[in-house]
Amino acid sequence: MDELEFLKRDWKKQDGNYPKLSYDQLYKMILKKSSSIVRWIFIISILEFVFWGILTVCLADQEYWIEMEKIHLKGFTIGLYIIGYIITFYFIYRFYRNFRKITATDSASVLMENIINTRKTVKYYIGYVLISTGFTGLVYTFFTFKYHMASMEVKNTSLYEFDYTQWLIFIGAFLVFMLVFLGLIWLFYKLLYGILLNRLQKNYKELKRLEIEN
Amino acid sequence: MNKELEHQFVSNLEMHQNIVHKICRIYTNDQASHNDLFQEVTIQLWKAYPKFRGDSKFSTWMYRVALNTAITLYRKKKRSIQTQDYDTVHFRIQAQEYDPKEEQQLSLMYNAVKELNDIDKALVFLYLEDKNYKEISETLGISEVNARVKMNRVKTKLKKILNP
Repeated sequence: MDELEFLKRDWKKQDGNYPKLSYDQLYKMILKKSSSIVRWIFIISILEFVFWGILTVCLADQEYWIEMEKIHLKGFTIGLYIIGYIITFYFIYRFYRNFRKITATDSASVLMENIINTRKTVKYYIGYVLISTGFTGLVYTFFTFKYHMASMEVKNTSLYEFDYTQWLIFIGAFLVFMLVFLGLIWLFYKLLYGILLNRLQKNYKELKRLEIEN
Repeated sequence: MNKELEHQFVSNLEMHQNIVHKICRIYTNDQASHNDLFQEVTIQLWKAYPKFRGDSKFSTWMYRVALNTAITLYRKKKRSIQTQDYDTVHFRIQAQEYDPKEEQQLSLMYNAVKELNDIDKALVFLYLEDKNYKEISETLGISEVNARVKMNRVKTKLKKILNP
């Protein structure tokens, strides 16, 4: 078929007319895997949100609210939920923005900036989770003691009174428990996001090296 | 991934990047999709690279993986949106000696190729790349006889498109 032969002739003639990407440009393309890492961070954050959401809904039955009322924390708990959701939504939005930005760019410097931003966002997020857990833990413990004890009908209260050292031991034990608990949460997040963040960091270093060489 | 592998891969890709550009040219209609496909193919090649054992030439392996990626993506896209905008300006990158008649003929030919399905496009592409039937059959994973039969059908199809 001479038409195809004719086409082949033209095809060959144009061999030199294709764009020529440099080594660095191609290298940056394979570093684009950053975008898939950031996408995973975004997906995990949503999954995590859904998980906690379901857990809260399942746990917060009528009994739970009665209990909350007893220790005068019903309003506080509702407020906490609302604020918690707002903050979590904000973080999900940030993760989404990072993901969009990282997929939309070709420039290495923007990519690097986004990697830094993503890492920062994740760190803030973990910080937020730790602080909020610590804070609510303290508030709940305090109120439970204050009102639960008051509502208990005990004839001989002196039996239940702590003296100075007992209080110290109690507070110390509580703090240790809290620290261990927060440590576990931290470890969990470190594992969950740490692997992804490490990969991002590696990509970042590569990009940085390229920047310096050029 | 180790450094050495990355370096090897990018050097090879740099040397043979024309193959990817040409595949993009057959499968896309504008510069933006050309770039998208190029990037996608690059990423797929890189993902597949650890499995490349070097028992075939890098370029041969590249033809296979790149065409597969293009075909897969082309199918996915076809399912979602189908806008065929024949951008002949992009397709005819540059005309060295401008001959209006020849130019028109070529443009018609390229448009006809665009109307082919994904596999037929791959056949035409390999044909234009001067591959023999053995190479075509190996790249597309079909038998040599099958490649011949298919190629003949493509030629008939092209004729029909050009002379309806």
